[in-house]
Amino acid sequence: MSEKSLFLGIDLGTTNSAAAVFDGTQVHLVRTPQGTTLTPSIVRLDAKGSVTVGAKARRLLDLDPDNTRGEFKRLMGTGQALDFPAAKRQLKPEQLAAEVLKSLRADVQEQFGLAPARAVISVPALFELPQSSATSEAARLAGFERVELIQEPIASALAAGWTTHNAAGSWMVFDLGGGTFDASLLETRDGLLRVIGHDGDNFLGGRDFDHVLVDFVLETLSATQGVRLARADPALAAGLRKLKLAVEDAKIELTREKATSVLVPALQLGAHVLDVDVTLTRDDVTRLCTPLVDRSIAVCVRLLRHHGLDPGQLSRLVLVGGPTVMPVLRQRLQDLLGVTLADGLDPMTLVAQGAALYAASAGLDARPAPKLEEQGRRIWLQYPAMTSDLSPHVVGRLVEEPGPKPVSIQLERHDGWKSAEAPFNEEGAFVLAVDVEPRKPNEFTLRGKTADGKAIALKPSKFSIVQGLTLNDPPLSRTLGVAMANDRVNTYFERGAPLPARRTFRHETVEALVKGQQESVLRIPIVQGEYDHAHLCRLVGALEVRGDQLDATLPAGSQVELTLELDRGGRLSARAMIVSTTQVFEEIAQLLVPEATPEALHGGLQATRDRVTQLRTAAFRHGLTRHIEQLGQVEQTLGEVERDIGAARGGDTDAAQKAKRGLLEIDATLDQLDGDSKFPELEEEAVSAVSWASSLVSRFASPQEQRLFDEAVAGVEKARRARQVHELQRRLRQVRQLGNAAYYRHPDAWPEQFEHAASNLSSMTDLPKAEKLVADGRAAMARGDTTTIKRVTEQLWRLAPADARERQQGHNSSLR
Amino acid sequence: MVPGLFERIAQNPFYVLGLAPTASRTELEREGSKLLSMLQLGFKDALTYRSPLGEHPRTEEAVRAAMAELRDPKRRLVHELLAALPASQTVPAAPQAAPELKWPRAPRVFGYGPKREG
Ligand SMILES: Nc1ncnc2c1ncn2[C@@H]1O[C@H](COP(=O)(O)OP(=O)(O)OP(=O)(O)O)[C@@H](O)[C@H]1O
Ligand SMILES: [Mg+2]
Repeated sequence: MSEKSLFLGIDLGTTNSAAAVFDGTQVHLVRTPQGTTLTPSIVRLDAKGSVTVGAKARRLLDLDPDNTRGEFKRLMGTGQALDFPAAKRQLKPEQLAAEVLKSLRADVQEQFGLAPARAVISVPALFELPQSSATSEAARLAGFERVELIQEPIASALAAGWTTHNAAGSWMVFDLGGGTFDASLLETRDGLLRVIGHDGDNFLGGRDFDHVLVDFVLETLSATQGVRLARADPALAAGLRKLKLAVEDAKIELTREKATSVLVPALQLGAHVLDVDVTLTRDDVTRLCTPLVDRSIAVCVRLLRHHGLDPGQLSRLVLVGGPTVMPVLRQRLQDLLGVTLADGLDPMTLVAQGAALYAASAGLDARPAPKLEEQGRRIWLQYPAMTSDLSPHVVGRLVEEPGPKPVSIQLERHDGWKSAEAPFNEEGAFVLAVDVEPRKPNEFTLRGKTADGKAIALKPSKFSIVQGLTLNDPPLSRTLGVAMANDRVNTYFERGAPLPARRTFRHETVEALVKGQQESVLRIPIVQGEYDHAHLCRLVGALEVRGDQLDATLPAGSQVELTLELDRGGRLSARAMIVSTTQVFEEIAQLLVPEATPEALHGGLQATRDRVTQLRTAAFRHGLTRHIEQLGQVEQTLGEVERDIGAARGGDTDAAQKAKRGLLEIDATLDQLDGDSKFPELEEEAVSAVSWASSLVSRFASPQEQRLFDEAVAGVEKARRARQVHELQRRLRQVRQLGNAAYYRHPDAWPEQFEHAASNLSSMTDLPKAEKLVADGRAAMARGDTTTIKRVTEQLWRLAPADARERQQGHNSSLR
Repeated sequence: MVPGLFERIAQNPFYVLGLAPTASRTELEREGSKLLSMLQLGFKDALTYRSPLGEHPRTEEAVRAAMAELRDPKRRLVHELLAALPASQTVPAAPQAAPELKWPRAPRVFGYGPKREG
């Protein structure tokens, strides 16, 4: 058993995986038995069911393509199983990922002599919940007792920040991998690493480069050999896989060479057998890949602009991922952004290194728990496992149990430095400041004393703090909320919220839920995305309560208290409590990336096309040239989506997911254009809301509320001038909320609300109950009993029906 | 969800962390991490904090959120201004929680103009 702590980080990549170990002072890369630091994320299952992983499996991609699989990371969370015909087995993506993790785990054991029990695994920043939870599941299957997830860009940043001391200012991590692109903007100051923001494209990576190059080779073949070949043709799938491998090898070679050939003798492509010998030059790569490279750079510019920065203000750019060694990419980055590229960092293993550092900061020691238990009085300890602070606090508390206990405590560092001696307070707790030595693990021993001055053993007896960087809490990458029956989203956590986080809201059910009825379902859809409308966000899970699980029938308008919780790695748990019965439900029924069938996608494409046509007509009519331009771009993207749907028909599920997301994004763009063209209407609304609220606020609000109101109104003005639709809507919500608060202090407010509710009596979900309430309300009106009027009106609100269309768009939510 | 005035004052990150608006970055990190440790161990002292509006429960989430707010220099500035309000100033009792608009037509009554998307 190793004496020192060991922290394990794993980069589970689409194409390649890597692992690194941090011992508190240095990061070591984990090597495969062949001596390399990369393990291709490829798994093969033979007829006997035995598994081959990594470089060896990659060589078999050629010889046994049907039983050898790669790129399964992109299917994580879809629940889609992959076929291994020879072994007659089907494996889910997380099971395949588990094989890669097992192989890395074995390498760690080989090199460091212990089977790691805990680790940090990196995931793309834009991974959604189902994908993250599949990753955790893979780790569990691989035998890890506990894992934390870290977003890849944060890992890279941590590693880059650790390696280059005293770096200051804003900088960017540019991570272009096999299948995903992430750009993150960071800042280091006083040893604190802060993520300012990130952006990216879940569907941009080296394999897209391969695709354009394969298309080029196919075109060349079509021209020279007189055959028609298209990538979307399912009959060509097997042959294309082989060709893609050869093309990828050529692409990699062209990083060093000026020209090379793609050679595949006797390649079977559907009905044709071709001897492929196509020359590929670096210039070809440059020409064909520049549009893709530019797409990634555009994302960087967008990210910078979003945070009010110019490329010139970046102090450096850290490159991560295989494609970032390509000359075309480096050249373009320098041409378009004009920033210095950080050197001395390994683009292929930086993520794993950062994950290992993060394991240290999370105190996630990889060593299995010792067999021999320590003896002594138990104590809970809390301290920052890694910090930039030179005198952090250590906090502790005695576990309540019988037996002798210490009255004071002192902490002694490995080199003899001693903290002050602190007494345990009446809660049995203490707080102590310790000095730590820079850039080192600092091991401390706990020294307890009893009332008669004798030493007493404490458990644990030691702990260590690594001095280095302080990493801020990882930010949530996408806003998370619950869809409501009116197609709105009730936001629980905003993008950028520090993790872990927990939040509780109360909602009401829109309809009755009958005890014992299985078909009667309360549905709570959980969505991620940056939009106010639920249908524009992605459904990432749902909590469902069936009538047959209920203790009692719930009338419409019953209160449900919902708590969502995210851990540091962004894993979600949910808990719904029926307030009236205190019954609790916790199981998230669906945690899968929703499936996308080619038929449904085609329907979506058609509908989007129609919408574009309508918007274009309107744009022409109103002479909105900017809109016409943007619609042109949308059409181009629609062309891509159509190609992806073609590939999806050929069995490429990844392309199906890509098409689906493409459509969602286009939808959001169109919504924005739509909103933009309705801007005058929104402005009008702003004017009327502000004037309505001002009269109320000036009469019924407190001075502080008035001050906030002034601030909100200034915000409305600013957003109006800058034509920022979202900001204007946000500010308007503030104005309305303040006006609303004031409104309810108006003596006529509740009577007015009551009258309104009463006038809608006929549409209420529970007519007899509503009639009774209205009668009660009328009587209260006659008495001038405002309290009752208020209560009655609120109850009437609960009986109002949900709009069917909105509800369907709100992922069939049962809540409001 | 836009916090109202009451929340804005009561949840000012400086009050949550028990720091003066002049606190340095290092102090912020040190105090924040100490509070998180104390909350994780259920220290009585850490469970509440004071603002000019009185005493409030302190949670780990609130501490994390407060730290995140103050790490961002632009956002910190706003909180510095608000935390500088004299604590003696008379502040009204918490306003009744403004109910969300539940009745679909309510916006019209409130003078919001026609209900619109977005
Ligand atoms: N020398 C090279 N020149 C060009 N491309 C390269 C080179 N080396 C590797 N690549 C490409 O890099 C890609 C793999 O990159 P990397 O290993 O960083 O991805 P990954 O981490 O597996 O993916 P992700 O981060 O998206 O999960 C492949 O498309 C590969 O073809
Ligand atoms: Mg990667």
